Amino acid sequence: MDYEFINSFKKPQVQNNWFLDLNPLSKLNIILILAIIPIVVKRWEVSVVIILFYFLIAAASSRLKQFSKVYVRLALLIGSLLFIMRAMFIPGEDVLMKIGFLTITQEGVDHGLQFATLVVAICGALVLYSVATQARDLMLVLEKKGVPHTATYVILSSLQSIIDLGNMSKLIMESQKARGIETEGKVTNRIKSFFPILGPLFLGAISNSEEKAIAMDARAFYAPGKNTHLRELRPVSLSEKSVLILINLVFVGFIVWRVVG
Amino acid sequence: MNCISVKNVSYKYPYTEGFALKELNYEFEKGKCYGIIGANGSGKTTFCNLLRGMIPHFFEGELTGDVFIEETDVRNWDSNLLSTKIGYIFQNPFTQISGIKETVFEEIALGLENLGMEKEALIDRVIEVVKLLKLEQLIKKNPNNLSGGQKQRVAFASIIAMNNDIIVIDEPTSQLDPESTAEIFSIINLLRNQGKTIFLVEHKVDLIAEYSDEVIVLKDGQITLSGSTQEVLSNMDLLQMGVMLPQASMLSYDMQKANKQLDSIAITKSQVIEQIKQRVGV
Ligand SMILES: Nc1ncnc2c1ncn2[C@@H]1O[C@H](COP(=O)(O)OP(=O)(O)O)[C@@H](O)[C@H]1O
Ligand SMILES: [Mg+2]
Repeated sequence: MDYEFINSFKKPQVQNNWFLDLNPLSKLNIILILAIIPIVVKRWEVSVVIILFYFLIAAASSRLKQFSKVYVRLALLIGSLLFIMRAMFIPGEDVLMKIGFLTITQEGVDHGLQFATLVVAICGALVLYSVATQARDLMLVLEKKGVPHTATYVILSSLQSIIDLGNMSKLIMESQKARGIETEGKVTNRIKSFFPILGPLFLGAISNSEEKAIAMDARAFYAPGKNTHLRELRPVSLSEKSVLILINLVFVGFIVWRVVG
Repeated sequence: MNCISVKNVSYKYPYTEGFALKELNYEFEKGKCYGIIGANGSGKTTFCNLLRGMIPHFFEGELTGDVFIEETDVRNWDSNLLSTKIGYIFQNPFTQISGIKETVFEEIALGLENLGMEKEALIDRVIEVVKLLKLEQLIKKNPNNLSGGQKQRVAFASIIAMNNDIIVIDEPTSQLDPESTAEIFSIINLLRNQGKTIFLVEHKVDLIAEYSDEVIVLKDGQITLSGSTQEVLSNMDLLQMGVMLPQASMLSYDMQKANKQLDSIAITKSQVIEQIKQRVGV
C-alpha cells in the first residue's frame, strides 16, 4: 500500500509553485483584474502587454506548454477572424485599399486591431485560469464558502461527463469504422458518420442520470449534517491576503483615475 | 430480531396500469443473506427499492400495506437517514462511480465525507476497507478509467466503508466476466461473515445456492416460493417460474431418473461431491 500517497491527504495539497498554490479565489481575483484592464484602457498595446503577461505567469507556474497548446491556436483563430471582420466592414475616411466592393480603411484596421486583441486577451484569462486551477480545488473552496455540494457536484460531474461523452463517441466511431462505415477523410463523410451516434450518446447520458442520482443517494449524498473533506487546501496566508488587498486597491485606484481623469 | 418486515404490500408505479408488487408478506431476520430470484421483469429491482425505502420516498405511486424497517414504519423514516443506513449496490458499474473524484482512494472516501467523518478516522476507515477488499493496487488510479469489474469492486468498497448493517445488492455481476464475478462473490462472502443482513438479487442460481440462507422467488410481482435455500432450490416448480435450478439440483434429478438417486437433492457442487464420495466409499 502506498502510504506516502495516503499520508499526502493529511497535509494541505500543494504543488510547490507560488502561483499554482495560491488560493483558487486569489488566482481568480488576479486573473479577473488582468482581463478587466484591457476592457477599461481600450488600447491594443495594453492588450498585447497583458497577453504577454499571461505567458509569463504560465511559464512561472510551469504550465507554459499546456497554456500555449490551447491558447495560441485559439488566439490566432479568434483574433484573425475578428480582425478581418472588423477591418473589412468598419467604414472610415482614410482609405488604405480597395478590393472589389470592399474598402479597407485605417479606422477599420485600428478598430479591428483593438477589438481583436481585447477579445483575445479576455480569452487568455479564461485559458490561463483553467490551466492554473483544478476545478475540484475551486469547488472545494466554494463549498467551504457555503455553496451547496449539490451545486459543486453538478459542475464537477458535468466536466467529467464531457470527457465520458468524448470517450464514448470515440468508441462508437471505432465500431462504426469496424462495420465499414467511413468515418475519416472528407468532412462530409465525417459529419455523415457523426450524426447517427448522437442519439444513442445522449439517450445513454439521460437514462444514466436517474441511476446516478440513486447511486449518490446510496453514498449518503443527502445525509443530514455537514460533510467533511478528505482533501484540504493550504489556508490563505497573511502575506497572500495583504498582497491581494494591495493589488485590488491599486486596481480600484486605477479605475477611479481612468474614469475621473 | 426482525430487521425488515413486509406486511400485505402491494405497489404500483406512477402512470402504470398493473401492480409491480402484489400482496407481499415476509419477515427478514438480522444477519441473514436472502437470495432473491425471478425472471426479468418479475419485480426484483422494485422489491429492492421497497426494502431500501426508495419506495415510497423516491418513487411515488401507490403503496398499500406496511413496511417496517427496524420496527419503524418506512413512511416515518427520514429518507436521508435511511439511505445512510441501508447500503445499495446495483448492476451498472459505470453509474456507480461518482465521476467527481480523481483517485480510487478519494472515491471510497466520498460516502464518509458525506457522513461528516473526521479526516483521521476517515483515512483509517478507507485503509481498512482497501485492505479488506484487496484494492491496494488501485488506490492511486482514476476511478473513471477502471474496467467494469474494477469499478464494481470500488463500488462495493465505497458502500462497505460506510459500514451499514443492511446491504441490498441488485445483480452485481450481470455485466461482469467470470473472474470479476468470483471476486465480487468473495466480497459478498466477507460481508456475510461480518454478520451483515444481505439482500442479493442474482440470476446465477448456483451462486445463490452457495451464499444465501433463504431464497425468495418472485413471479409477476408475487412471492411464489420462499424458504430455506435447500428447500427452494431443490424444487422443480422453479422451472415454471422462469428460474433455472442449480446445476447440482439438475444433476440430482437426473440421477434420480436414472435410478441412481442420491440421499437427497443436492443444491451445491460440494454437496454432490460429498454424497458421491459417501456412495463410492472414499
Ligand atoms: N421506474 C419505473 N416506472 C414504471 N414501471 C417500472 C419502473 N421500474 C420497473 N417498472 C416495471 O415494474 C415491473 C418490475 O420491474 P423490475 O422490478 O425492474 O423487474 P426485475 O428487476 O425483476 O427485472 C416491470 O413490469 C417494469 O416494467
Ligand atoms: Mg432488475
